[in-house]
Amino acid sequence: MKKQTVADFALFGGQKLFSEPKPTSGLYRPSEERFFAYAQSVFTTRRLTNSGPLVCQLEKRLAELHDTETCVTFCSGFLALLLSIHTLALAGRTEVIMPSATYRRMAAIVTWAGLEPRYADIDPQTMGVNASLFQPHISSKTALLLGVHPIVAMSAVEELEALSSESGIPLLLDSVEAAYGTINGKNIGSFGVAEVFSMHASKFINGFEGGYVTTNDVPFGEKLKIIRAFGFQAKDTITDLGYNAKLNEIHAAMALACLDEIDKQIQHNKRIFRRYEDGLAGLPLHLFRYADDEERTWKNIVIRLDEGWELTRDALLAILQAENILARPYYTPPLHKTGENPLPIILPVTDSITASTCILPSGTHVSEDDADAIAETLHTIYNNRQSFKEKFREGQCSC
Amino acid sequence: MLMLTTISDLAVCGHKPLFDTVLPVGQINLPSEARFHDVFHDLFERRYYTNHGVVTQELEEKLCRLFGTRHALTMTNATLALSLVCKGLNLPVGGKVIVSAFTFAATVQALTWAGLDPVFCDIDPLTHNMTAQMGAPLLDTPGVCAILGVHLWGNACDIEGLEALARERGIPVFFDAAHAVGCSHKGRPIGGFGTCEVFSFHATKILSATEGGCVATNDDALAERLRNLRSSYGRRATVPIPIAGYGRFSEAQAAFALLSLEDFPQNCRNNQRRLRLYTEGLQGVPGIRFLLPSEGESHNYQYIVFEVEEKDFGLCRNELVQALAAENILARRYFVPGMHRCVPYITQCPQYVNALPVTDVVCEKVMQVPSGQCVTDENIAAVCALIRFIQAHAGELKGMLPQ
Repeated sequence: MKKQTVADFALFGGQKLFSEPKPTSGLYRPSEERFFAYAQSVFTTRRLTNSGPLVCQLEKRLAELHDTETCVTFCSGFLALLLSIHTLALAGRTEVIMPSATYRRMAAIVTWAGLEPRYADIDPQTMGVNASLFQPHISSKTALLLGVHPIVAMSAVEELEALSSESGIPLLLDSVEAAYGTINGKNIGSFGVAEVFSMHASKFINGFEGGYVTTNDVPFGEKLKIIRAFGFQAKDTITDLGYNAKLNEIHAAMALACLDEIDKQIQHNKRIFRRYEDGLAGLPLHLFRYADDEERTWKNIVIRLDEGWELTRDALLAILQAENILARPYYTPPLHKTGENPLPIILPVTDSITASTCILPSGTHVSEDDADAIAETLHTIYNNRQSFKEKFREGQCSC
Repeated sequence: MLMLTTISDLAVCGHKPLFDTVLPVGQINLPSEARFHDVFHDLFERRYYTNHGVVTQELEEKLCRLFGTRHALTMTNATLALSLVCKGLNLPVGGKVIVSAFTFAATVQALTWAGLDPVFCDIDPLTHNMTAQMGAPLLDTPGVCAILGVHLWGNACDIEGLEALARERGIPVFFDAAHAVGCSHKGRPIGGFGTCEVFSFHATKILSATEGGCVATNDDALAERLRNLRSSYGRRATVPIPIAGYGRFSEAQAAFALLSLEDFPQNCRNNQRRLRLYTEGLQGVPGIRFLLPSEGESHNYQYIVFEVEEKDFGLCRNELVQALAAENILARRYFVPGMHRCVPYITQCPQYVNALPVTDVVCEKVMQVPSGQCVTDENIAAVCALIRFIQAHAGELKGMLPQ
């Protein structure tokens, strides 16, 4: 049913646009045959974990994909980050320089590693970080530079690499949102000391759960392999404080099946992106675009509300979510504002971006028709913005 | 057919190994391929891969029944589950936890990642478990905020004693029950003792999720904090936690574990038969003492563990392990070295290096031999005959084997 007035919207009693939720998550579904073909290994080798053959194969394939010397898989992106931060942080130092507009558990990960976050602002054009944003925070306390790629655009990693060389502070990159990308033709995965990726089902490579690190620093990779398996360098020989962060073979089978279908997934994503690009034209919304001349996943649809939009971002999210359009705010609240005691710091770009930016549905559960319908809904919302504003003013909705 | 006449028939003396392929320790129980295909097909059809889906919920309900607890919370793995429990209990960073050093590395490492330091306790030489009597003097160590008991080999540690100590001091006691899925203590399932108990579903365990862990508890508030620590999915209320965590269990892990749970009774029976074959096969061999399941209790029988007493057996444990390894029998030493002698504890808390005499002795004597789905009754008969032969020729072999 085509929505025309405010009353047609689910938030105000109308019928939902979609009968099932449309998420922002990838949730890629590889061919079952492919998955079972890989998983067969479990029955022939009786290996279910502990660096089994599928994990080894996956690590080799991922190292090739990212054009790095080595790759180390983990049971989650969280632990991939934690163990990398723990291993790379300079001894005797306490601070990790990182953006505040990032993964909501990033501050906790740094704390689990026994360190403290020090937040830098972001660039308004890319929403990423660069050398001039990190440089003022460097001090004798700095243990690590944690660069994070924003959703869609890229952080200025070449600058950050230079800053790392000058300062002698290692650079780790969280590159999950930049996966499969290139910068000036060079593969994401090969920058900094190492780059970290998630293989949660919502991400580009769906491994049910999982994560991985790519690096050209082979000894660092070897150390991570020891630490992820209780610190055992050899049978009965523990050389490091270890943990259990191993990826199991079934998750590896899933990731391998997805890896075989990367091109198919990107084609789908690109079609969806183009539909949104066309569909959103003419609206006071800024769509963050992928660089046409680089490899990208084309997965994410990120929009920033321009002034002319008039409704607040949170009002828009409330309207959309009621329609089963599970749009999400962009890294909100930013990390410096979370917790019981928000930090008394001002990060103007971060504050502004995280109040005005959101992510629209994409991935496997979204068809081209769905993208058209969502874009059309945004037009209808915009055309009815005065009525929506009145409704919100009347307090007929909690937003 | 095993033909052993002289020591030249042994692989350590240059003979062809007894087994062509390696006989491992650890359960590695696999479901049937057909059932595996069915449940994973369903999973693909649902397109729900993680984040506390329907399969995980079904598994947790069944685990509550198995453990006899109100809550069973699945986690990525047991090590992580132990760390999250420390946060769920609000144990302060820098606090100390009484724990035995004769345990798998994960027990102690989980504490360290949670910002806690171990206070190592010695063990009872017969059970390999910590007792309240041994733990009591350690309570006076400054900063002690909890007791972590370990139910080694699936046998309950001194639960009542440790609970009494903890009550007296007003600190929590929780248990590493990684070995104890399906085991009981005084007729009650392990799972409901202490503040909570943590189980492992690693592939080498009786109940396998390939990797996985679970916290069982009757403490509603702790359970809710743990749900919040694990993920935003599956929590019933938002409650304060000291730090965000991540311990999600995927639908794939849950599907695999449910299959394993269906096979659980049969796998226990098979383990029980294998243990009986070992104990009968090695009956009367001097210097071998089995660590047997507590009498009258339910048990999973997953470990075939014994001590080798060198003066009676004629060879030390390390020599026997070497001799078996040469035959492609991957017997394993446990736990070598004790955690008090491992990195980083050997330097971080050197006061324990020479403080655990029983642990040090036991670390030199204990070994595990192959069990689990891929070990046949014939394999066990051959391993037993081989050990018997090695013992009978210990005098000739002495000094030939690397220690």
